[in-house]
Amino acid sequence: MNLPFRATKNTSAKIALRNRKEPYLAWAFVLPALSLLLIFLVIPFLLAIYFSLTNQRLAPDPLPTSFLGFSNYTRMLTDDTLRRALFNNSIYGIVVVSVETGLALFLALLLNQKLRGMSFFRAIYFSPVVTPLAVISVVWAFLYNPGQGLINAFLQAISFGHLGPYTWLDNANLALPAIMLLSIWQGVGLYMIIYLAGLQNIPPALYESARVDGAGRWQQLRYITLPQLRNTTFFVMIATTVQAFKLYTQVEVMTQGGPGNATVTVIWYMVNQSIHHLHVGYASAIAVVFFLIVLIRIIPILRYVVATEKREV
Amino acid sequence: MSRFCGTVRDKMQWRNVFPLVILLCVLVSACSITPLAASSSKSGPITVQLFYHSGQEAERAALSTTLQTFNDSHPNIHVEAVQLPEGNYIDQVNVAALSHSLPCLLDFDGPTLYRYAWSGYLVPLDNYVPSQMRNDFLPSILQQGTYNQHLYSLGQYDSGLGFYANKQYLRAAGVRIPTIDSPWTLSEFNRILASLKQRAGLQYPLELNMNGGNEWFTYGFSPFVESFGGDLINRRTYQSAKGKLNGSDAVAAMTWFQNLFKQGYSDPWPVSDTDFTSGRAALDWGGHWLYAANQQALGNNLLVLPAPNLGKGMKTGMGSWSWGITSSCKTPDAAWQVLNFILSSSEITRMTNANGAVPARKSVIAQSQLYAPKGPLHVFALQLLRGIAEPRPITPAYPIITSAFSEAVIDIVDGFNVKKELDIAAQKIDQDIQDNEGYPTQ
Repeated sequence: MNLPFRATKNTSAKIALRNRKEPYLAWAFVLPALSLLLIFLVIPFLLAIYFSLTNQRLAPDPLPTSFLGFSNYTRMLTDDTLRRALFNNSIYGIVVVSVETGLALFLALLLNQKLRGMSFFRAIYFSPVVTPLAVISVVWAFLYNPGQGLINAFLQAISFGHLGPYTWLDNANLALPAIMLLSIWQGVGLYMIIYLAGLQNIPPALYESARVDGAGRWQQLRYITLPQLRNTTFFVMIATTVQAFKLYTQVEVMTQGGPGNATVTVIWYMVNQSIHHLHVGYASAIAVVFFLIVLIRIIPILRYVVATEKREV
Repeated sequence: MSRFCGTVRDKMQWRNVFPLVILLCVLVSACSITPLAASSSKSGPITVQLFYHSGQEAERAALSTTLQTFNDSHPNIHVEAVQLPEGNYIDQVNVAALSHSLPCLLDFDGPTLYRYAWSGYLVPLDNYVPSQMRNDFLPSILQQGTYNQHLYSLGQYDSGLGFYANKQYLRAAGVRIPTIDSPWTLSEFNRILASLKQRAGLQYPLELNMNGGNEWFTYGFSPFVESFGGDLINRRTYQSAKGKLNGSDAVAAMTWFQNLFKQGYSDPWPVSDTDFTSGRAALDWGGHWLYAANQQALGNNLLVLPAPNLGKGMKTGMGSWSWGITSSCKTPDAAWQVLNFILSSSEITRMTNANGAVPARKSVIAQSQLYAPKGPLHVFALQLLRGIAEPRPITPAYPIITSAFSEAVIDIVDGFNVKKELDIAAQKIDQDIQDNEGYPTQ
């Protein structure tokens, strides 16, 4: 009889206890992730800011590491290679983000049909994503080979010998586009899958009522599919933009920034400066500036996403 | 601070942060526990840790046998070997130095020594090496191992660089076989390439091993620059590359080098370096490490020829992996015992039989099947003994020199303006020397 009473008393006591414990509990849950972020992200970044003001070397002895003020930053202003790297990153970003996003959407629309063997095609387009980028770069370096590469052979075959052979990775005008092509090919499968998921989330009722209202396929795409995919598109654009900023593996494996700085990228240049040229201080300064550039590029997109979400709520 | 810690609410937040602070302290203290390497104070065998690059399979096997033999015959010393991948060995050693976790014994690719020595990571070996032993080493090994008048490093083997040639093609093109006393001259070599291309009908008569990697570009192609009278840096002061690396001799050398590709004598972008072994090229400019493969492919048809004289004397490369004792080593005497064993004639023989490199000691060369006077690679030993081989620049700036030069080589092969590329390389080197206050020696 008095069981419910005891139970209520007990429960309220538990709740009180939980309320008191809650902050600790919350911290306990947050702690693992937070400490990892702190150790591997925040502290190194603060260190980078500090290093960027010094002449820190990778092998520091015997000269003392001295404080330089902003001279690493002023040196960046006159660094032609860095300027070229920023330019290459921008061009790469503009082309790859737009082409990769568009192509991923196009492929997703093609593969979002109820036909036999669709999962086979999805698997094919997705397979480059699960292959390590370094492996892909090595294989494509062979494909691009001027003398014996498959791509030149293909171009010559379809043009009856009018096109090529091109020296892809050793030609200052073709090297960056060649890397773009392979990067798009490698990345498009992932974003295609994301678009497919987005497409399948659109309620079929919308299309039904559109058809009832007499909308054609193009109008359905224009007024239902694309607006419904807006958040997916934002995600894909942010992901491809970040990926474009991080361009490194392909350059390291295929061109080493050459020919004549034609494919040098900021991250590659940073690694090259710190590891091969031992200039950790200068590389840190590049990292700090690059972080700001990425921030400036990403923040408007994020703010737009947040704003539209608020409006929808 | 009082502004931030003042209110009760803020204090509560500080209390909430407390577990985080404790965790951080635990992590930091866990990281600062000293590694095992320094456990020499304990009784029992002294542990000598060593780092080495994991090169070819045969090399690895030979070294582990050597160390095993040492461990078996020296119960009071225990060698603990750590293998690191060769591709980024230098990076890993640099990082180990930065975090003060270098082992007692270290092997490194020859010219990276000067950086370590300058940084004070290595102790001189002068007092350890008896003069009799010292005199038995090749002059090139001693030259490479000496920085700032101290001997810091000795290796088990040196390297050889020259031409491998296809006898049949040379005969077809009517080419004179050069000797170390009368090498090919520049004009003769140019004529030979032209006639090999025309008369022997080879698309690319000269194989330059373009997939050899960046250090190969410096090792293999800087002798061309030096034979033209140029150099990677002014070796009198080691303070500037200007006027040397971008001087008229070096520009002439690299223009000639660029023309090797422009005139179709060599393939700038081979898929793999197999033109020579597959019989598509008549000449192969390469190191001793190619001998086994070339011998297998060509058999009796293979010739090993000396470096050319491109104007200002014959020049070829030298230097290879060698050993040093670090200054952080708590037991340098034990480390020297290990190193002394590694450098003994029997162990050098074991290693050079495995990897085919030039034995570092003259007494071993005399016994070597490959390098003794009748051996097929004797010419490589002669190049080292006669001072034809030039050490790569003996300066702590070497990492930047090799990186700047190899970057220039890549662009020059791709047809960029030679003078401009060498200007850029010289500028990079001078900037680095300036950043390091001219690399002052103590």
